[in-house]
Formats: sequence, structure tokens, C-alpha cells
Amino acid sequence: MAFEKLIEELQEKKDRVLVMGGPHKITKQHEKGRLTARERIDRMLDPGSFFELGMLACSDMPGMEDKTPGDGIILGFGTINGKRVGITASDFTVLAATLSRVHGKKLHDFKQQIYQYKLPHVFLGDGGGGRVPDGQGSIGMTSSAMMGTRSIFLMYTNHRQAPMITAIMGNCFGVPMWQACAADFVVQVKGSTLSVSGARALQKIIAATYTDEDMGGWKIQAEHTGIVDRTAEDEEDCFRIIREFLSYMPQNNRELPPRHPVPEDSGRNMGAIMDILPEKRTRAYDMYKIILSIVDSGSLFDLKPLFGKTIITSLARIDGRSVGIVANQPMVNGGAMGTDALEKLTGFLCLCDSYNIPLLFLHDSPGFLVGKEAELKKVGAKVTNAMDALSQVTVPKVSIIIRKSYGQGMFSMCGPSAGPDFVVAWPSAEISFLDPVVAADVACGQLPEEEYQTLKNQMIQEAGPGPAAGRYFLQDIIDPRETRTYLMNVLDIIADCEGGGIGNHLLANWPKQF
Amino acid sequence: MTTIVAPMPGTILEVLIRIGDEVVEDQELLILEAMKMENPICAPCDGRIRELTVREKDTVKTDQVLIVLD
Repeated sequence: MAFEKLIEELQEKKDRVLVMGGPHKITKQHEKGRLTARERIDRMLDPGSFFELGMLACSDMPGMEDKTPGDGIILGFGTINGKRVGITASDFTVLAATLSRVHGKKLHDFKQQIYQYKLPHVFLGDGGGGRVPDGQGSIGMTSSAMMGTRSIFLMYTNHRQAPMITAIMGNCFGVPMWQACAADFVVQVKGSTLSVSGARALQKIIAATYTDEDMGGWKIQAEHTGIVDRTAEDEEDCFRIIREFLSYMPQNNRELPPRHPVPEDSGRNMGAIMDILPEKRTRAYDMYKIILSIVDSGSLFDLKPLFGKTIITSLARIDGRSVGIVANQPMVNGGAMGTDALEKLTGFLCLCDSYNIPLLFLHDSPGFLVGKEAELKKVGAKVTNAMDALSQVTVPKVSIIIRKSYGQGMFSMCGPSAGPDFVVAWPSAEISFLDPVVAADVACGQLPEEEYQTLKNQMIQEAGPGPAAGRYFLQDIIDPRETRTYLMNVLDIIADCEGGGIGNHLLANWPKQF
Repeated sequence: MTTIVAPMPGTILEVLIRIGDEVVEDQELLILEAMKMENPICAPCDGRIRELTVREKDTVKTDQVLIVLD
């Protein structure tokens, strides 16, 4: 055979690349309970579907060629659930997956390619940070994004044209942090960390005494910052969560999300839905129970469940179709929305609007958590931001007033005059500027007891949905047991419209973090 | 052993269990009045009430231990 020796040498070289940073580094990675980049790619993708790019890439530093197979980043195409995706994995066994010129060029060119193709991108992050001494010196630094005058931007951008998913699987700094903050969906494996800088470097620079875990463990990112949408128990759980997220998503913003078969027992609890809602207007209940009764069995996919818990933002399916649910949670602070909840709401509106997912709002909130602490956290700005986003949402919106819907909270939950395509109430709804009991205290607290009681009862009565339905500010009052059927009809109507519910994506360029 | 803590500051309105009671997941154990709402505190799992540290009308702080379940 011609060129036999060259082909043999090529094969030997590729075999060496497949063992990444070498058996010793692989053992160390496994000892931490973590998989290698290649193992992760194999488990994330459908078996045998990986098509690699850049296998022969390596560091451009003299003498480093053999020590940097792939230059710390492995990427290419594959399929998940039978659908085409781009996949990138940081290779911790090669110099802790630090960023260098060739590493950066691989990621830059690949992101550009999948943006052009409008394919989902899954980034499996580990390690990161800048590589020393590659970036040292004025040439080192200015050439660190070697491709051109604007080449660094792709590291931070996501135009929300196709879903971008980031997994945090090791001690992540730098590149994985930017990929997390730019992503549409972020999952963090318990035991991993996500921070801009590492504790080890900080100990030297500012004599810091905290650890990576203190700065960016899953509790920090899932409960306090909200950068992370979901936490995974382990790496297998992480891959399962990503597959599940993708099942609700279209391949790109020009398509509708795929329709799924409807499990037979879906809606079986609708007859008993009124048993969940307490008759007493001041008694809290778990809104998840209402949602689970309405959606297709087993289809609830919660986003940021540990952050801003007064609002629930979940993907789900009704009649096999993806919907984005925004619901107040009376079990937490009585459902009074805080600034975290408002940030969570704005981000979720951007996500659903970008990927043609109709929104369903379920109201039961007394309004916002106000006071000095809220003002210090810019509650006014957060409310305005969420309203601005809501005004630009172009996917269909459905609003159902279950119980309380007061004041600005009614608008923030897409109530009447805040753009709902469909808006109805349950007979249990209470709609007013203020809680009627509070309003009665303010307006007529000084009146004699009997007169006060009469006026208070009148205010409670007037907060019922009947008067608003009579003026067509509500399109209907529905029997709660028919909520699922009502929504199935609404989704059928939307599907028959021109475009079937594909929006104009005005929020695609909004920030991913607020 | 599972501890149940107050999710927010408030006042204990009702105590629905006694020490030694067997309870099932999701069962309402206490009613905490906070934010002008009556908030049920439910069992996170099946178990037996080992300790009950509050009485009706007690005020509680966030994260204060209310009940210990076996």
C-alpha cells in the first residue's frame, strides 16, 4: 500500500491522543470520582455518535507538543436523543484544561460553526483558567485570542438561536464560568465548584482563607446566585438532566419544540384538584401539587428550584406540547415575590420567548416582598426589567388566576392588560389593588366595628372574578377541574395559527444573568 | 433522624401532632402564621415525632428547629 508508513504513524499518533494526559493523570481524575473528558462525551452522546474535530491540535509552545494532546479541549458533533448537537468537553488531564491559544482557537472556531448551523451546544466544563506561561508577556497576552480583532467575544456570547447547555463537573474557573453565565441552561454536579478565580491563587494574592467550595460550591450557585439551574447528584445524573432538558427544546429558534406522546394516566387527578386549594383564603398550599395535576404525567422539569423560591419556573408538557410555567408558590413567604424571584422570572421569559415555548402563568401571590431590604436590592429595577421583558415576549401567553392577584403583582404575572392571549380565573380568584382585608383596615379601620365589618365583607366580595369577567377583562371563569382541558384547547388553537406559535425572539439578545 | 426547621419567621398557630406520633410524608404537623398567611409545615418523610420544641403562640425565627423526626 502506498503511504503505508505515513498512515501507520498517523494511527499511532491518534492512539496516543486518545489516552489524553496519560494513564497517571487519568487515574488521578478517576480517584476524584470524576470521568475523563472522553468518557463524559461517550456517556452524554448516543453510543458511537461522536465525530471529533481537532484531534491533532496541540500547544504552540516549543517543546509542549507531545504533552498537550488536543490542547486540553475535546470537541465535535454527535447526537442526543437521536438529534444532532455540538459537544465540547474540557480535558482536565491535559494541563488542567487551562486556556491557551490553540485551546481557545478550537473553542472559538467550533462555536462559530455551530452558531452558523444553529445546533444545540453542550459544554462539559472542568478546570480552566489561563495557562501560565503561555499568556505571559505582551505578546503572550495580546495573542491569547489569536484569531482576530474581535475573536474573544464568542467566549461570552450566546445569541439564543439554538440551545446552549453548560455542565459544571470539576473545579471550574475562567472559560467554564463564562460558558455557564452565557448558557440557556446550567447544571452543576455536587462536589464540583464554579468560580472566577481559584482559592489557591487567592491564598497567594490576597491571603484568602476560603476554599473553592466556599466560593462556588453547588449551594452557592444554586441557592444564592441562581447561575446554576439544576444540581446533579453525580455525573450520570448530570447527563440524564441534560437529555431531559433537551427533550423540551427545539433544535433552534426556527422550529417548534418536539411533540411527545402523552402518558395515559395524564390528568387523572384533575377531578380532585379542588382538594389541593384550601377553602380558607389565608391558608398556604403547595403550588407544585396543582401544576403536577395539570401537566402530562412525569413531565415537570423545574428550573432554579432552589433560587427565588416564591416563583416556580418549570418546563412541562401539556398534551405532549412543551410549555413554560410561571407560578407563584404560596408555601414560601406566602408567595410574596422577592428580587431573586423577579430575576428568575425575567430569565425564564427570555428562555421561553427564544425557543418558541408558550407561557402559562398561575397566579396566587399577595404581591412583592417590600421594605428596606428589597429597596437595597433594587426591587423597583427588577420589577421594571421583568415588565419590559414581558412586554417583548412574542410567544403565546396564557394566564390563570387561581387565588390572589393583587396590584403590580397581577401585571407581573401577565394578568389583564399585561399581554395575555388567554386570561381566565378560577371561581376562587381574588383580584384587587390591595388585599381586601388590608384595604379595609386602611380605608375604614376607624369606623365603628359593625360598619367596618360590612365594608370589609363588601371589599372581599368585590375582589371575586365575576365583575371583571362581566366587563370582559377576564375571558372566562372556569371550573378548576376543567383546567387541563381548557389548556389543551388553547394549545390546539395556538398550533393552528400561522407559524404555530413561533415568536419573533425580541429577547434573544437580552443578558443571560441579571 | 430528620430535623424540621422554620422556613421563615412567624408564630406557631396550631400544633397538630404530639411526641411519639407516627406521621406520613406530606402530613401537616404545624401551622406557622407568617406573612399574614397560615403556612402548613409538613413532614418531609414518614417517621415518628421524637422532639417537639414549640408550643402554640410561640414566635420562631428562620431555621429554628421545630421538630425532630425519627
